Amino acid sequence: MTQVLAQSMLLVGESGVGKTHYGAQLLKRLLNSKGRFRMDGAASNLEPFEATMESLNNGRSAAHTPTSTYVDSEWPISNKKGLTFTLVWPDYGGEQIKKLLATRKIPSTWRARVENSSAWMLMLRLQQLRVSDDLLSKPLARLAEEEAADPPSDEPIQPSDQARMIELLQILLYLRGKGVGDATNIPQLCLLLSCWDELGQSDPPEEVLKRQLPMLSDFITSNWKHPIILGLSALERPLDKSVPDEEYVTRGPEHFGYIVLPDASTTQDLTYPLTALLDPSEENS
Amino acid sequence: MKACSVEDCFAPDTTCAHGHLSLKDCPNWTSQEKIDSKSSDEGTEIVLPWSGSALGRTDLSFVTGRRTPMMIGILGPENAGKTSLLAAWYLLIGRGANIGNRHTFSGSFTLSGWEAVARSMQWTPGTPPEFPAHTSTRGVRGQGLLHLAFREDGNRLRDYLFTDAPGLWFQRWAINEQAPDAKGARWIVDNADAFILTADCAALAGDDKGSARAAIQLLARRLGANRRGRPVTLVWTKSDITVAESMKFSVRDAVSSQVPGFEEMTVSMQAPADDSHGQGTGLTALLKHTLQIRRLKQVLSPSHVNATDALFLFGAR
Repeated sequence: MTQVLAQSMLLVGESGVGKTHYGAQLLKRLLNSKGRFRMDGAASNLEPFEATMESLNNGRSAAHTPTSTYVDSEWPISNKKGLTFTLVWPDYGGEQIKKLLATRKIPSTWRARVENSSAWMLMLRLQQLRVSDDLLSKPLARLAEEEAADPPSDEPIQPSDQARMIELLQILLYLRGKGVGDATNIPQLCLLLSCWDELGQSDPPEEVLKRQLPMLSDFITSNWKHPIILGLSALERPLDKSVPDEEYVTRGPEHFGYIVLPDASTTQDLTYPLTALLDPSEENS
Repeated sequence: MKACSVEDCFAPDTTCAHGHLSLKDCPNWTSQEKIDSKSSDEGTEIVLPWSGSALGRTDLSFVTGRRTPMMIGILGPENAGKTSLLAAWYLLIGRGANIGNRHTFSGSFTLSGWEAVARSMQWTPGTPPEFPAHTSTRGVRGQGLLHLAFREDGNRLRDYLFTDAPGLWFQRWAINEQAPDAKGARWIVDNADAFILTADCAALAGDDKGSARAAIQLLARRLGANRRGRPVTLVWTKSDITVAESMKFSVRDAVSSQVPGFEEMTVSMQAPADDSHGQGTGLTALLKHTLQIRRLKQVLSPSHVNATDALFLFGAR
């Protein structure tokens, strides 16, 4: 008897982290049965990924997802062991996350998503996030040596990147009704450090995170017992919006992209994060 | 200006104090809505119970709800480096400073508050950072408590609240315990579990060192009278500035006579010349020390029972 488990994935990521690109590439892998998981039937709605898959087939990167969009796509998937899941994969414009953080008001639709999700996947693009230098790391005495290179900007004060991501996770935990501190009973968390190819790192993803965003890393390891921290390069190389990449066109996008595993080795199987979240026993096989 | 008529409710800034997830369900709010008609779609959204800014007295209940936090009162005259100390701690945690393996940062409900404090110590391109701007006495919520949670030994979670209050409050309180403008200081001293008393090395070595010495002696005297056995740490801030030994002695002497058993630590934003970690001097050590302070154990008086009935003798000695 096959067991069908409905698994709704909450995919969280600010704009520009590559949610749609990953979704499209993951979908291609599932359709080609290349990884541990494969599509077992027909997906409910492939529309959100249609344009992106088309762009990738032609060796180009896709356009930005509009802010207002939020489409859930249901994918019946199964693995080699015959375990069947219904994966609910969302696609939306990352500005929704930004708005959520700025207004601190959570639309009831988002609340329902957080409450009903069985696993959380947070995508971070480390190039977009950094820790600024401060008085302690760069004392005043050294100021004279480094004359101001950039003119002072008039931009309004923004919370630091680490604080913003921590607040986002705290809000998710609060909506889940668990608050911070209850390490049991919260959905498994998978952190994907996207656009790994741009980072030029060869260390394990967990160490890279700890080095670049130490406070966020502390927060995650302190609140989740076994968080999964992986690197992701959905496209393997940067693509241009208008100039096609010839190799992509001839070989097909399904031959590109990789996941960086916790031990810093890589796998072409983009469905690996699903394995880690849905069926952890399979992870090491 | 408060939108809700209920005393402790700050909706729509935070959640409804009476627990209605949708403001439309709250009888107090609907009566208000007649006045304010633009809040039509607010009913479908959830407002978070914490604003991220420094906590006010009412906001506290959200944090204290899960467990009693350790409240650290940071006392000291104006410009003694109280806020800078907090800012430095936040920045050090943000950069993953080693505060020992026992404590891992585990969240904060006042991230914006910490950010605001740390802002002026952070580098933005082209502008030199300064020490935090003066903490204003104005604004009811200005007092502010900053929250940090740490997981201890990978197991137990501990909440800490640090007071961020203007030095003027303590100066007024030291002179007149019942001064109307020292209400905040009285509240801190009533409620804190431990104290950090800052002694400003720059002031004690400066032109007005006499009055700086007198101010801290006065404050120590007042704290001593209200201490009720709680732990006190005397912290020499801006310790890169040398203070005459005789001056240090007289401050130390005054504090030890009023607050016996106090501990002493030294901090500075300036790192020693041979240190390149950029962690200042003594800042992580003081944070570590502070996180290890424990609340005084309450000792219940033993019960004396005269009855002979076994039921009443249970547990008696």
